[in-house]
Amino acid sequence: MLRFKSIISRIVFLHVVAVAITSILMSLALSWLLSYETENIHHKAMQEQAASVGEHLSLTSDGRLELNLPLDLLGLYSQAYGRYSYAVIDDRGAVLFSSREDHAALFPGDSRSAPVEFLQQRRGNATVSGASVKKTIGDKTVWIQTGEDLANRDVLIDDIVANFYKKVGWITLPILLVLLMTDIAIFRRALRPLREASEIAEGIGPARPGVRLPTEEIPREVRPLVSAVNQGLDRLEEGFRIQRDFTADAAHELRTPLSVLRSRIDLLDDQDMRQALRQNVDGMAHIIGQLLDIAELDAVVVHSDDKADLQSVATEVAEFVAPLALAQGKDIALSGATEPVWVKGNPEMLGRAIRNLAENAINHTAAGSTVEFVVEGDGTVSVLDRGPGIGEDERQLIFRRFWRRDRRKQGSTGLGLSIVQRIAELHSAVITVENRKPNGARFSLKFVPLKS
Amino acid sequence: MRLLIVEDNEELAGLLAKGLKTAGYECDVLSTVEDARAVLSTTFYAALILDLGLPDGDGLELLREIRLRDNPIPVLVLTARGGLHDRVHGLRSGADDYLVKPFALEELIARLEAQLRRPGQLLGSSLRIANLAFDTQNRQASIDDQPQVLSARETAVLELLMRSKGRVVSKKQVEDHIFGHSGEVASNAIEVYVHRLRKQLSERGARVQVHTIRGVGYLIAEEK
Repeated sequence: MLRFKSIISRIVFLHVVAVAITSILMSLALSWLLSYETENIHHKAMQEQAASVGEHLSLTSDGRLELNLPLDLLGLYSQAYGRYSYAVIDDRGAVLFSSREDHAALFPGDSRSAPVEFLQQRRGNATVSGASVKKTIGDKTVWIQTGEDLANRDVLIDDIVANFYKKVGWITLPILLVLLMTDIAIFRRALRPLREASEIAEGIGPARPGVRLPTEEIPREVRPLVSAVNQGLDRLEEGFRIQRDFTADAAHELRTPLSVLRSRIDLLDDQDMRQALRQNVDGMAHIIGQLLDIAELDAVVVHSDDKADLQSVATEVAEFVAPLALAQGKDIALSGATEPVWVKGNPEMLGRAIRNLAENAINHTAAGSTVEFVVEGDGTVSVLDRGPGIGEDERQLIFRRFWRRDRRKQGSTGLGLSIVQRIAELHSAVITVENRKPNGARFSLKFVPLKS
Repeated sequence: MRLLIVEDNEELAGLLAKGLKTAGYECDVLSTVEDARAVLSTTFYAALILDLGLPDGDGLELLREIRLRDNPIPVLVLTARGGLHDRVHGLRSGADDYLVKPFALEELIARLEAQLRRPGQLLGSSLRIANLAFDTQNRQASIDDQPQVLSARETAVLELLMRSKGRVVSKKQVEDHIFGHSGEVASNAIEVYVHRLRKQLSERGARVQVHTIRGVGYLIAEEK
């Protein structure tokens, strides 16, 4: 079964088939018409010949029939020329006159036949085709037969028939091809609004959810499809909006009471109690922050023209996490590129991904060791720690939401790496996890670099 | 010193006012954009603590208006959003700093003081970490209340670090602070000054530590 990807190719194929069938039928019809017309001319000529032979028939005084052909007619029917022949037969079938050597009739006589008949007779390997015309002279009725040997038929007419395809038939093909081209052009024109709509559709995404396909120029046959797509986009946009609103509302509703709680704790007099409660609230705030991040990332918008300087984003994150690391007796270091490294992406989200990698590394790296950031010119940022490393069997698990190696350990939600993965996904970035020697892990994110 | 808190959660506003009072600030509390607009046009405040989600409008609008009127009042924005798209937004509209809820009261006070100690602002006197103090008025460092003599460059580095207490100061910031934006700086010049400062401080018994965050910058913190 032939399958066509495009309407144009379908039209071209069907058109070619139609052209082929039409040109064959047209040639057949024309050639049939031509031979029909040739036959007509032949019959007419034969009938006229019979009439002119008949004019030279006369009755003698003794009541016999006499044929006195003039010279030009004698020449026409001569054996030497051999092309035409005549015979005159009476109502009993007896041959009165004949141009043939054997003095025979051209066609079998039949007294009941019509006044004019067209007949054909095979004789040996020659075929004689001609007319039989009834004529009454005085009281005698005769049939004048004239015939033409088809083997010697006029070359001109034969050539026209035989060469019809070569000389005339070919003209149908270019005409039909021109028609095909015209049709394709018309169709391409008719499809142009669809192509334009497709180009617009290509730009539609979470980053530009408000774009709709234009319906004015779209052919009426396709308009229902375009309208349905637009309505689908309306529903998607609404879904995104609801999700975003929910995230923003949830953030506000959760963070404000936490803030009240945190301030209330900060004003407590009992220092030990204050310290313990702060830790609890901060842990809770951390989880809520990450949950909100995840909710936001599910309906997030990454604009296609967003760009970020990975070097400065990584530096900012290093500055941000350094006090936290130092407070735990761990060091931070940044190396690699010192010039801006431009990549495709939203700087805030990139920062969030790197920050989660860094917080993860700080949590796991051994006391007194350094968490290193490395930014490379090809759009890669790596975070290296000196922790226990990641087992082969854990490589997939670590990116799962809420997965933790040690559930008893405080300060880890199991959400950080799943946030990293989601942000990487949104930016078509590649995550690599390796173990370092002698110990430690290296997480790398390779973003899509931009030519600066 | 009088501050204005614009926050619609009365409980939080009350707690902030109470906390700031213990740090020596008097606070007025308002809960709508409209009230804040009216009060700000007639009353002088040392700083504004502004929540973004207010019942009658967005705090950012008020902030824009304030800046359009060339009012240089330091503004510390409080936001519950802190989402992946929100951060730069507030700062671009003219906020001097921002805090995402929930925040520590100490952090709020520290950020506020950082704003108030900026040139032209009201707070100018003493910065302190453990037994090390730095008077920004006469640019004098002291350890255990004993004035110390440091070179001009060492003093400049220390001042910058003390002003950014608890936060990383980038190497670039130190360079700009000491040498200005022009002039060639030897690649290790800053490291040399920081190294000297660190040595001076430890020899003189300051219980602080100047950390080097390799590739990032420097941070001063209490010694552990």
